Amino acid sequence: MRGLLAGQMRRREQRDELLSAYLDGQLSAVVRARLEAQLAADPELRAELEALRRTVSLVRDLSPVPVPHNFILSQAMVARPRPARPSRSLQLWAAPVLTAATAIVSLLFVIVLAGDLLLSGMGGRALAPAAEPRLESEAPQAAMVPSPVTQEVEAVVEVEKAVAEDTASAASTEAPSEPAPQATVEMERYAAGEAPAGGGADVEETVPPAPAAPAATPTPAARLTPEVTQPAALGIDGGPTEESAAPAPTAAPPVVEEAAAPAPTAEPTPGQAAEAVPRASGEEEPGAAEVERVAPEGQVTQPAASLRWRILEGVLGLTALGLALATIWAWRARRR
Amino acid sequence: MDEAGLITAAQQGRVDAFNELVLVYQQQVYNLAYRILGDPASAADATQEAFISAYQNLHRFRGGSFRSYLLRIVSNGCYDELRRRKRRPTTSFEDFGEDMDEEANPFLVNGRERPEEYTERQEMAHVIQAGIETLPPDQRVTLVLSDVQGLSYQEIAEATDVSLGTVKSRLARARGKLRDYLQSQGELLPARYRL
Repeated sequence: MRGLLAGQMRRREQRDELLSAYLDGQLSAVVRARLEAQLAADPELRAELEALRRTVSLVRDLSPVPVPHNFILSQAMVARPRPARPSRSLQLWAAPVLTAATAIVSLLFVIVLAGDLLLSGMGGRALAPAAEPRLESEAPQAAMVPSPVTQEVEAVVEVEKAVAEDTASAASTEAPSEPAPQATVEMERYAAGEAPAGGGADVEETVPPAPAAPAATPTPAARLTPEVTQPAALGIDGGPTEESAAPAPTAAPPVVEEAAAPAPTAEPTPGQAAEAVPRASGEEEPGAAEVERVAPEGQVTQPAASLRWRILEGVLGLTALGLALATIWAWRARRR
Repeated sequence: MDEAGLITAAQQGRVDAFNELVLVYQQQVYNLAYRILGDPASAADATQEAFISAYQNLHRFRGGSFRSYLLRIVSNGCYDELRRRKRRPTTSFEDFGEDMDEEANPFLVNGRERPEEYTERQEMAHVIQAGIETLPPDQRVTLVLSDVQGLSYQEIAEATDVSLGTVKSRLARARGKLRDYLQSQGELLPARYRL
Protein backbone atom coordinates (compact mmCIF):
# COMPACT_ATOMS: atom_id res chain seq x y z
CA MET A 1 0.00 0.00 0.00
CA ARG A 2 2.75 2.34 1.00
CA GLY A 3 4.70 1.36 -2.11
CA LEU A 4 1.66 2.08 -4.23
CA LEU A 5 1.29 5.55 -2.72
CA ALA A 6 4.99 6.23 -3.13
CA GLY A 7 4.72 5.14 -6.73
CA GLN A 8 1.77 7.46 -7.31
CA MET A 9 3.61 10.36 -5.68
CA ARG A 10 6.67 9.69 -7.76
CA ARG A 11 4.57 9.63 -10.95
CA ARG A 12 2.90 12.89 -9.91
CA GLU A 13 6.27 14.53 -9.29
CA GLN A 14 7.45 13.42 -12.71
CA ARG A 15 4.29 14.79 -14.28
CA ASP A 16 4.71 18.08 -12.39
CA GLU A 17 8.27 18.34 -13.59
CA LEU A 18 7.12 17.86 -17.14
CA LEU A 19 4.25 20.35 -16.79
CA SER A 20 6.43 22.91 -14.97
CA ALA A 21 9.10 22.77 -17.66
CA TYR A 22 6.36 22.97 -20.28
CA LEU A 23 5.06 26.19 -18.72
CA ASP A 24 8.55 27.67 -18.91
CA GLY A 25 9.12 26.52 -22.49
CA GLN A 26 11.98 24.27 -21.37
CA LEU A 27 10.94 21.05 -23.12
CA SER A 28 12.50 19.79 -26.30
CA ALA A 29 10.28 19.81 -29.38
CA VAL A 30 9.79 16.05 -29.29
CA VAL A 31 8.81 15.88 -25.61
CA ARG A 32 6.58 18.90 -25.94
CA ALA A 33 4.74 17.40 -28.90
CA ARG A 34 4.21 14.15 -27.00
CA LEU A 35 2.92 16.02 -23.92
CA GLU A 36 0.56 18.14 -25.98
CA ALA A 37 -0.86 15.01 -27.50
CA GLN A 38 -1.46 13.60 -24.02
CA LEU A 39 -3.05 16.86 -22.89
CA ALA A 40 -5.43 16.77 -25.80
CA ALA A 41 -6.53 13.28 -24.85
CA ASP A 42 -6.53 13.57 -21.05
CA PRO A 43 -8.81 16.17 -19.37
CA GLU A 44 -7.39 15.32 -15.93
CA LEU A 45 -3.90 16.16 -17.12
CA ARG A 46 -5.24 19.39 -18.62
CA ALA A 47 -6.78 20.31 -15.23
CA GLU A 48 -3.47 19.67 -13.52
CA LEU A 49 -1.64 21.83 -16.00
CA GLU A 50 -4.21 24.57 -15.46
CA ALA A 51 -3.84 24.41 -11.65
CA LEU A 52 -0.09 24.66 -11.97
CA ARG A 53 -0.31 27.54 -14.43
CA ARG A 54 -2.66 29.35 -12.04
CA THR A 55 -0.30 28.83 -9.12
CA VAL A 56 2.65 30.25 -11.02
CA SER A 57 0.53 33.13 -12.19
CA LEU A 58 -0.56 33.96 -8.63
CA VAL A 59 3.06 34.03 -7.44
CA ARG A 60 4.14 36.16 -10.39
CA ASP A 61 1.32 38.58 -9.71
CA LEU A 62 2.40 39.21 -6.15
CA SER A 63 2.89 42.91 -5.72
CA PRO A 64 6.48 43.91 -5.16
CA VAL A 65 7.09 44.87 -1.58
CA PRO A 66 8.39 48.41 -1.23
CA VAL A 67 11.71 48.77 0.56
CA PRO A 68 11.31 50.17 4.07
CA HIS A 69 14.30 52.49 3.53
CA ASN A 70 17.28 52.93 1.28
CA PHE A 71 20.10 50.51 1.87
CA ILE A 72 22.93 52.80 0.78
CA LEU A 73 26.18 52.20 2.55
CA SER A 74 28.11 54.74 4.56
CA GLN A 75 31.88 54.81 4.88
CA ALA A 76 31.46 53.80 8.50
CA MET A 77 29.43 50.72 7.54
CA VAL A 78 32.00 49.39 5.14
CA ALA A 79 34.98 50.45 7.22
CA ARG A 80 33.54 48.89 10.35
CA PRO A 81 34.99 45.46 10.83
CA ARG A 82 32.48 42.70 10.39
CA PRO A 83 31.14 41.25 13.62
CA ALA A 84 33.89 39.18 15.12
CA ARG A 85 32.23 35.91 14.40
CA PRO A 86 34.36 32.97 13.41
CA SER A 87 33.76 31.81 9.89
CA ARG A 88 31.15 29.16 9.30
CA SER A 89 33.71 26.52 8.38
CA LEU A 90 35.76 27.31 11.49
CA GLN A 91 32.65 26.98 13.64
CA LEU A 92 31.89 23.66 12.00
CA TRP A 93 35.24 21.95 12.55
CA ALA A 94 36.36 23.66 15.74
CA ALA A 95 33.88 21.86 17.98
CA PRO A 96 34.70 18.26 16.94
CA VAL A 97 38.43 18.93 16.90
CA LEU A 98 38.31 20.47 20.37
CA THR A 99 36.24 17.55 21.60
CA ALA A 100 38.84 15.09 20.33
CA ALA A 101 41.67 17.16 21.82
CA THR A 102 39.91 17.28 25.18
CA ALA A 103 39.42 13.52 25.12
CA ILE A 104 43.08 12.88 24.28
CA VAL A 105 44.47 15.26 26.89
CA SER A 106 42.06 13.95 29.53
CA LEU A 107 43.11 10.39 28.72
CA LEU A 108 46.78 11.36 29.02
CA PHE A 109 46.02 13.05 32.32
CA VAL A 110 44.33 9.93 33.65
CA ILE A 111 47.18 7.72 32.43
CA VAL A 112 49.83 9.94 34.01
CA LEU A 113 47.86 10.18 37.25
CA ALA A 114 47.34 6.43 37.38
CA GLY A 115 50.98 5.80 36.52
CA ASP A 116 52.13 8.15 39.24
CA LEU A 117 49.87 6.58 41.86
CA LEU A 118 50.84 3.08 40.79
CA LEU A 119 54.59 3.75 40.78
CA SER A 120 54.56 5.64 44.07
CA GLY A 121 52.50 2.83 45.59
CA MET A 122 54.87 0.16 44.28
CA GLY A 123 57.96 2.12 45.29
CA GLY A 124 56.77 2.19 48.88
CA ARG A 125 55.52 -1.36 49.26
CA ALA A 126 56.23 -3.80 46.52
CA LEU A 127 59.78 -2.85 45.68
CA ALA A 128 61.22 -2.44 49.15
CA PRO A 129 60.69 -6.04 50.30
CA ALA A 130 62.11 -7.21 47.01
CA ALA A 131 65.27 -5.35 47.75
CA GLU A 132 65.71 -6.85 51.19
CA PRO A 133 66.92 -10.35 50.40
CA ARG A 134 69.33 -9.03 47.84
CA LEU A 135 70.97 -6.73 50.31
CA GLU A 136 71.04 -9.41 52.96
CA SER A 137 72.83 -11.81 50.71
CA GLU A 138 74.95 -9.14 49.15
CA ALA A 139 76.81 -7.94 52.19
CA PRO A 140 78.15 -11.27 53.47
CA GLN A 141 78.99 -12.35 49.97
CA ALA A 142 81.00 -9.29 49.37
CA ALA A 143 82.60 -9.55 52.78
CA MET A 144 83.70 -13.19 52.50
CA VAL A 145 84.31 -13.87 48.83
CA PRO A 146 86.31 -11.23 47.13
CA SER A 147 84.73 -11.04 43.75
CA PRO A 148 86.44 -9.39 40.80
CA VAL A 149 84.44 -6.36 41.53
CA THR A 150 85.58 -6.40 45.13
CA GLN A 151 89.14 -6.75 43.98
CA GLU A 152 88.69 -3.81 41.75
CA VAL A 153 87.25 -1.87 44.57
CA GLU A 154 90.14 -2.91 46.77
CA ALA A 155 92.44 -1.45 44.23
CA VAL A 156 90.45 1.71 44.34
CA VAL A 157 90.58 1.69 48.09
CA GLU A 158 94.31 1.20 47.94
CA VAL A 159 94.64 4.24 45.79
CA GLU A 160 92.41 6.12 48.14
CA LYS A 161 94.53 4.97 51.04
CA ALA A 162 97.64 6.18 49.33
CA VAL A 163 96.01 9.54 49.01
CA ALA A 164 94.79 9.32 52.58
CA GLU A 165 98.28 8.52 53.81
CA ASP A 166 99.55 11.62 52.18
CA THR A 167 97.01 13.70 53.92
CA ALA A 168 97.32 11.67 57.12
CA SER A 169 101.01 12.38 57.35
CA ALA A 170 100.11 16.01 57.64
CA ALA A 171 97.02 15.64 59.78
CA SER A 172 97.68 12.52 61.91
CA THR A 173 98.49 14.56 64.96
CA GLU A 174 95.27 16.42 64.93
CA ALA A 175 92.66 14.84 67.20
CA PRO A 176 92.39 11.59 65.32
CA SER A 177 89.43 10.15 67.20
CA GLU A 178 87.22 13.16 66.98
CA PRO A 179 86.07 12.99 63.41
CA ALA A 180 85.07 9.38 63.66
CA PRO A 181 82.25 9.78 66.17
CA GLN A 182 81.17 12.88 64.34
CA ALA A 183 81.01 10.98 61.14
CA THR A 184 79.24 8.13 62.85
CA VAL A 185 76.65 10.53 64.09
CA GLU A 186 76.36 11.81 60.60
CA MET A 187 75.93 8.30 59.40
CA GLU A 188 73.26 7.51 61.94
CA ARG A 189 71.49 10.70 61.24
CA TYR A 190 71.41 10.04 57.51
CA ALA A 191 70.60 6.42 58.01
CA ALA A 192 67.66 7.46 60.12
CA GLY A 193 66.80 10.30 57.80
CA GLU A 194 66.76 8.03 54.81
CA ALA A 195 64.59 5.48 56.47
CA PRO A 196 61.22 6.97 55.51
CA ALA A 197 62.30 7.66 51.96
CA GLY A 198 64.06 4.45 51.13
CA GLY A 199 62.13 2.18 53.49
CA GLY A 200 63.06 1.56 57.11
CA ALA A 201 63.74 -2.11 56.60
CA ASP A 202 66.36 -1.36 54.01
CA VAL A 203 68.34 0.83 56.30
CA GLU A 204 68.27 -1.71 59.05
CA GLU A 205 69.46 -4.34 56.64
CA THR A 206 72.21 -2.30 55.13
CA VAL A 207 73.56 -0.65 58.21
CA PRO A 208 74.79 -3.78 60.08
CA PRO A 209 77.64 -4.56 57.69
CA ALA A 210 79.13 -1.19 58.42
CA PRO A 211 79.57 -1.68 62.18
CA ALA A 212 81.19 -4.99 61.24
CA ALA A 213 84.13 -2.88 60.23
CA PRO A 214 85.77 -1.97 63.51
CA ALA A 215 87.06 1.29 62.27
CA ALA A 216 83.60 2.53 61.45
CA THR A 217 85.26 5.24 59.50
CA PRO A 218 83.28 7.96 57.91
CA THR A 219 84.29 6.66 54.52
CA PRO A 220 82.08 3.59 54.51
CA ALA A 221 79.48 5.42 56.46
CA ALA A 222 79.45 8.28 54.07
CA ARG A 223 79.35 5.93 51.15
CA LEU A 224 76.78 3.81 52.83
CA THR A 225 74.25 6.51 53.07
CA PRO A 226 73.57 6.82 49.36
CA GLU A 227 73.26 3.09 49.31
CA VAL A 228 70.07 3.50 51.19
CA THR A 229 68.69 5.33 48.25
CA GLN A 230 69.70 2.42 46.12
CA PRO A 231 67.27 -0.35 47.13
CA ALA A 232 64.52 0.63 44.77
CA ALA A 233 66.94 0.50 41.88
CA LEU A 234 68.39 -2.73 43.15
CA GLY A 235 65.01 -4.26 43.45
CA ILE A 236 64.02 -3.25 40.00
CA ASP A 237 67.11 -3.93 38.03
CA GLY A 238 68.55 -6.84 39.88
CA GLY A 239 72.10 -5.84 40.71
CA PRO A 240 74.26 -3.03 41.95
CA THR A 241 76.89 -3.65 39.31
CA GLU A 242 74.55 -2.99 36.42
CA GLU A 243 74.92 0.42 34.95
CA SER A 244 71.19 0.85 34.57
CA ALA A 245 70.60 -0.12 38.13
CA ALA A 246 71.04 3.37 39.43
CA PRO A 247 70.04 6.02 36.99
CA ALA A 248 69.56 8.79 39.50
CA PRO A 249 72.53 8.87 41.91
CA THR A 250 75.65 8.71 39.82
CA ALA A 251 77.93 7.77 42.68
CA ALA A 252 75.76 4.93 43.87
CA PRO A 253 77.00 1.79 42.04
CA PRO A 254 80.62 1.96 43.16
CA VAL A 255 79.48 3.04 46.57
CA VAL A 256 77.71 -0.20 47.26
CA GLU A 257 80.78 -2.09 46.31
CA GLU A 258 82.96 0.09 48.41
CA ALA A 259 80.68 -0.17 51.35
CA ALA A 260 80.98 -3.90 51.27
CA ALA A 261 84.61 -3.98 50.26
CA PRO A 262 86.26 -1.87 52.95
CA ALA A 263 84.90 -4.16 55.60
CA PRO A 264 87.47 -6.93 55.08
CA THR A 265 90.24 -4.53 54.18
CA ALA A 266 89.70 -2.28 57.14
CA GLU A 267 89.28 -5.15 59.57
CA PRO A 268 92.62 -6.92 60.13
CA THR A 269 95.33 -4.61 61.26
CA PRO A 270 95.21 -1.74 63.66
CA GLY A 271 97.63 -0.03 61.36
CA GLN A 272 95.10 0.01 58.64
CA ALA A 273 92.52 1.21 61.11
CA ALA A 274 94.90 3.87 62.21
CA GLU A 275 95.45 4.75 58.65
CA ALA A 276 91.82 4.88 58.07
CA VAL A 277 91.18 7.17 60.98
CA PRO A 278 93.70 9.79 59.98
CA ARG A 279 92.38 9.49 56.53
CA ALA A 280 89.04 10.20 57.94
CA SER A 281 90.41 13.12 59.84
CA GLY A 282 92.11 14.36 56.73
CA GLU A 283 89.03 13.92 54.72
CA GLU A 284 86.68 14.86 57.42
CA GLU A 285 85.52 18.03 55.85
CA PRO A 286 85.22 16.67 52.34
CA GLY A 287 83.74 13.44 53.71
CA ALA A 288 81.17 15.27 55.75
CA ALA A 289 80.52 17.50 52.82
CA GLU A 290 80.05 14.44 50.73
CA VAL A 291 77.58 13.07 53.19
CA GLU A 292 75.81 16.38 53.20
CA ARG A 293 75.84 16.51 49.47
CA VAL A 294 75.28 12.94 48.43
CA ALA A 295 72.64 12.02 50.92
CA PRO A 296 70.40 14.98 50.19
CA GLU A 297 70.92 14.29 46.52
CA GLY A 298 69.78 10.78 47.08
CA GLN A 299 66.77 12.15 48.84
CA VAL A 300 66.18 14.84 46.30
CA THR A 301 65.99 12.43 43.39
CA GLN A 302 62.65 11.09 44.52
CA PRO A 303 61.07 14.43 45.45
CA ALA A 304 62.45 15.87 42.21
CA ALA A 305 60.94 13.04 40.26
CA SER A 306 57.67 13.32 42.10
CA LEU A 307 57.76 17.08 41.57
CA ARG A 308 58.11 16.43 37.86
CA TRP A 309 55.11 14.13 38.06
CA ARG A 310 53.12 16.81 39.88
CA ILE A 311 54.04 19.46 37.31
CA LEU A 312 53.11 17.13 34.46
CA GLU A 313 49.84 16.25 36.13
CA GLY A 314 49.11 19.91 36.82
CA VAL A 315 49.83 20.95 33.25
CA LEU A 316 47.78 18.12 31.79
CA GLY A 317 44.92 18.73 34.19
CA LEU A 318 44.77 22.44 33.46
CA THR A 319 45.05 21.83 29.72
CA ALA A 320 42.21 19.33 29.86
CA LEU A 321 40.09 21.80 31.81
CA GLY A 322 40.83 24.63 29.39
CA LEU A 323 40.08 22.44 26.39
CA ALA A 324 36.84 21.25 27.97
CA LEU A 325 35.70 24.86 28.44
CA ALA A 326 36.73 25.74 24.88
CA THR A 327 34.82 22.70 23.61
CA ILE A 328 31.65 23.76 25.39
CA TRP A 329 32.02 27.23 23.94
CA ALA A 330 32.61 25.86 20.43
CA TRP A 331 29.53 23.65 20.52
CA ARG A 332 27.39 26.52 21.76
CA ALA A 333 28.75 28.82 19.07
CA ARG A 334 28.02 26.19 16.47
CA ARG A 335 24.44 25.84 17.63
CA ARG A 336 23.95 29.60 17.46
CA MET B 1 28.21 56.06 -15.65
CA ASP B 2 27.05 52.62 -16.78
CA GLU B 3 26.86 49.55 -14.53
CA ALA B 4 30.30 48.24 -15.47
CA GLY B 5 31.83 51.66 -14.75
CA LEU B 6 30.09 51.85 -11.39
CA ILE B 7 31.31 48.38 -10.50
CA THR B 8 34.88 49.26 -11.44
CA ALA B 9 34.72 52.49 -9.44
CA ALA B 10 33.26 50.61 -6.47
CA GLN B 11 36.02 48.01 -6.76
CA GLN B 12 38.47 50.88 -6.42
CA GLY B 13 36.86 51.83 -3.13
CA ARG B 14 34.27 54.38 -4.16
CA VAL B 15 31.28 53.78 -1.92
CA ASP B 16 29.24 56.43 -3.70
CA ALA B 17 29.52 54.46 -6.96
CA PHE B 18 28.43 51.32 -5.17
CA ASN B 19 25.48 53.18 -3.64
CA GLU B 20 24.19 53.92 -7.10
CA LEU B 21 24.09 50.20 -7.71
CA VAL B 22 22.37 49.75 -4.34
CA LEU B 23 19.59 52.09 -5.40
CA VAL B 24 19.11 50.16 -8.64
CA TYR B 25 18.94 46.72 -7.06
CA GLN B 26 17.68 47.24 -3.52
CA GLN B 27 14.03 46.59 -4.50
CA GLN B 28 14.86 43.18 -5.98
CA VAL B 29 17.22 42.23 -3.20
CA TYR B 30 14.76 43.23 -0.51
CA ASN B 31 11.84 41.48 -2.22
CA LEU B 32 13.79 38.28 -2.57
CA ALA B 33 14.70 38.41 1.12
CA TYR B 34 11.16 39.26 2.09
CA ARG B 35 9.59 36.42 0.10
CA ILE B 36 12.07 33.91 1.43
CA LEU B 37 12.06 35.02 5.05
CA GLY B 38 8.49 36.26 5.30
CA ASP B 39 8.92 39.29 7.54
CA PRO B 40 10.02 42.87 6.82
CA ALA B 41 12.53 43.25 9.65
CA SER B 42 14.50 40.10 8.82
CA ALA B 43 14.34 40.99 5.14
CA ALA B 44 15.75 44.47 5.83
CA ASP B 45 18.58 43.02 7.92
CA ALA B 46 19.37 40.44 5.26
CA THR B 47 19.32 43.11 2.56
CA GLN B 48 21.66 45.45 4.41
CA GLU B 49 24.05 42.61 5.23
CA ALA B 50 23.97 41.46 1.63
CA PHE B 51 24.97 44.89 0.32
CA ILE B 52 27.76 45.24 2.85
CA SER B 53 29.02 41.77 1.96
CA ALA B 54 28.69 42.51 -1.76
CA TYR B 55 30.80 45.65 -1.39
CA GLN B 56 33.44 44.01 0.78
CA ASN B 57 33.76 41.07 -1.62
CA LEU B 58 33.53 43.08 -4.79
CA HIS B 59 37.13 42.24 -5.71
CA ARG B 60 35.90 38.66 -6.27
CA PHE B 61 33.33 39.76 -8.84
CA ARG B 62 34.78 38.78 -12.21
CA GLY B 63 32.11 40.11 -14.50
CA GLY B 64 28.86 38.50 -15.61
CA SER B 65 25.49 39.42 -14.20
CA PHE B 66 25.77 41.81 -11.27
CA ARG B 67 22.15 41.08 -10.40
CA SER B 68 22.96 37.36 -10.12
CA TYR B 69 25.96 38.25 -7.96
CA LEU B 70 23.76 40.25 -5.58
CA LEU B 71 20.90 37.75 -5.53
CA ARG B 72 23.33 34.97 -4.86
CA ILE B 73 24.70 36.80 -1.82
CA VAL B 74 21.29 37.59 -0.41
CA SER B 75 20.06 34.04 -1.10
CA ASN B 76 22.96 32.62 0.87
CA GLY B 77 22.26 35.06 3.69
CA CYS B 78 18.62 33.96 3.72
CA TYR B 79 19.64 30.29 3.75
CA ASP B 80 21.77 30.96 6.81
CA GLU B 81 18.92 32.81 8.48
CA LEU B 82 16.49 29.95 7.76
CA ARG B 83 18.96 27.42 9.17
CA ARG B 84 19.39 29.58 12.25
CA ARG B 85 15.61 29.78 12.67
CA LYS B 86 15.30 26.05 12.32
CA ARG B 87 17.68 25.63 15.22
CA ARG B 88 16.09 28.41 17.23
CA PRO B 89 12.50 29.03 16.19
CA THR B 90 11.37 32.58 16.89
CA THR B 91 8.07 34.33 16.57
CA SER B 92 7.63 35.97 13.23
CA PHE B 93 6.67 39.61 12.95
CA GLU B 94 3.73 38.43 10.94
CA ASP B 95 2.31 36.93 14.09
CA PHE B 96 1.99 40.44 15.47
CA GLY B 97 0.01 41.60 12.44
CA GLU B 98 2.84 43.81 11.25
CA ASP B 99 2.86 42.41 7.77
CA MET B 100 2.19 44.57 4.77
CA ASP B 101 -1.05 46.46 4.91
CA GLU B 102 -2.34 49.59 3.27
CA GLU B 103 -1.43 51.92 6.08
CA ALA B 104 2.08 50.63 6.45
CA ASN B 105 2.64 50.28 2.71
CA PRO B 106 0.72 52.92 0.81
CA PHE B 107 2.61 51.88 -2.35
CA LEU B 108 0.57 48.71 -2.43
CA VAL B 109 -2.65 50.54 -3.11
CA ASN B 110 -3.58 50.18 -6.74
CA GLY B 111 -5.55 53.23 -7.66
CA ARG B 112 -7.72 51.40 -10.19
CA GLU B 113 -8.92 48.56 -7.96
CA ARG B 114 -11.87 48.77 -5.59
CA PRO B 115 -11.25 48.51 -1.85
CA GLU B 116 -12.68 44.99 -1.63
CA GLU B 117 -10.48 43.89 -4.50
CA TYR B 118 -7.49 45.30 -2.73
CA THR B 119 -8.47 43.46 0.46
CA GLU B 120 -8.87 40.20 -1.44
CA ARG B 121 -5.51 40.67 -3.08
CA GLN B 122 -3.95 41.25 0.29
CA GLU B 123 -5.58 38.10 1.66
CA MET B 124 -4.37 36.13 -1.29
CA ALA B 125 -0.83 37.53 -0.89
CA HIS B 126 -0.91 36.35 2.73
CA VAL B 127 -1.99 32.87 1.71
CA ILE B 128 0.61 32.62 -1.03
CA GLN B 129 3.32 33.85 1.30
CA ALA B 130 2.23 31.32 3.89
CA GLY B 131 2.36 28.64 1.18
CA ILE B 132 5.88 29.70 0.15
CA GLU B 133 6.99 29.44 3.75
CA THR B 134 5.89 25.80 3.90
CA LEU B 135 8.50 24.92 1.27
CA PRO B 136 11.95 23.63 2.13
CA PRO B 137 14.63 26.36 1.84
CA ASP B 138 16.15 25.17 -1.44
CA GLN B 139 12.75 24.92 -3.16
CA ARG B 140 11.65 28.20 -1.62
CA VAL B 141 14.67 30.11 -2.91
CA THR B 142 14.32 28.54 -6.37
CA LEU B 143 10.61 29.37 -6.60
CA VAL B 144 11.13 32.98 -5.50
CA LEU B 145 14.06 33.49 -7.86
CA SER B 146 12.05 32.08 -10.74
CA ASP B 147 8.48 33.23 -10.20
CA VAL B 148 8.91 36.37 -8.09
CA GLN B 149 12.21 37.64 -9.46
CA GLY B 150 11.78 36.26 -12.97
CA LEU B 151 15.28 34.75 -13.28
CA SER B 152 15.95 32.20 -16.01
CA TYR B 153 16.92 28.62 -15.17
CA GLN B 154 20.51 29.44 -16.05
CA GLU B 155 20.59 32.48 -13.77
CA ILE B 156 19.07 30.48 -10.92
CA ALA B 157 21.64 27.73 -11.45
CA GLU B 158 24.41 30.34 -11.17
CA ALA B 159 22.89 32.09 -8.18
CA THR B 160 22.31 28.91 -6.21
CA ASP B 161 25.35 27.00 -7.46
CA VAL B 162 23.47 23.96 -8.73
CA SER B 163 22.91 22.30 -12.10
CA LEU B 164 20.11 23.19 -14.51
CA GLY B 165 18.51 19.81 -13.87
CA THR B 166 18.40 20.51 -10.15
CA VAL B 167 16.82 23.90 -10.78
CA LYS B 168 14.15 22.30 -12.96
CA SER B 169 13.44 19.61 -10.41
CA ARG B 170 13.33 21.97 -7.41
CA LEU B 171 11.11 24.41 -9.21
CA ALA B 172 8.65 21.72 -10.27
CA ARG B 173 8.42 20.35 -6.74
CA ALA B 174 8.02 23.83 -5.26
CA ARG B 175 5.23 24.70 -7.68
CA GLY B 176 3.54 21.36 -7.14
CA LYS B 177 3.61 21.75 -3.35
CA LEU B 178 2.38 25.32 -3.52
CA ARG B 179 -0.44 24.24 -5.82
CA ASP B 180 -1.42 21.51 -3.35
CA TYR B 181 -1.27 24.04 -0.52
CA LEU B 182 -3.50 26.51 -2.31
CA GLN B 183 -5.95 23.76 -3.26
CA SER B 184 -6.04 22.69 0.38
CA GLN B 185 -7.07 26.21 1.35
CA GLY B 186 -10.13 25.80 -0.88
CA GLU B 187 -13.02 27.92 0.35
CA LEU B 188 -10.69 30.17 2.36
CA LEU B 189 -9.41 31.71 -0.84
CA PRO B 190 -11.27 34.58 -2.48
CA ALA B 191 -13.47 33.12 -5.23
CA ARG B 192 -11.57 34.71 -8.08
CA TYR B 193 -8.28 33.28 -6.83
CA ARG B 194 -9.38 29.69 -6.32
CA LEU B 195 -7.50 27.09 -8.32
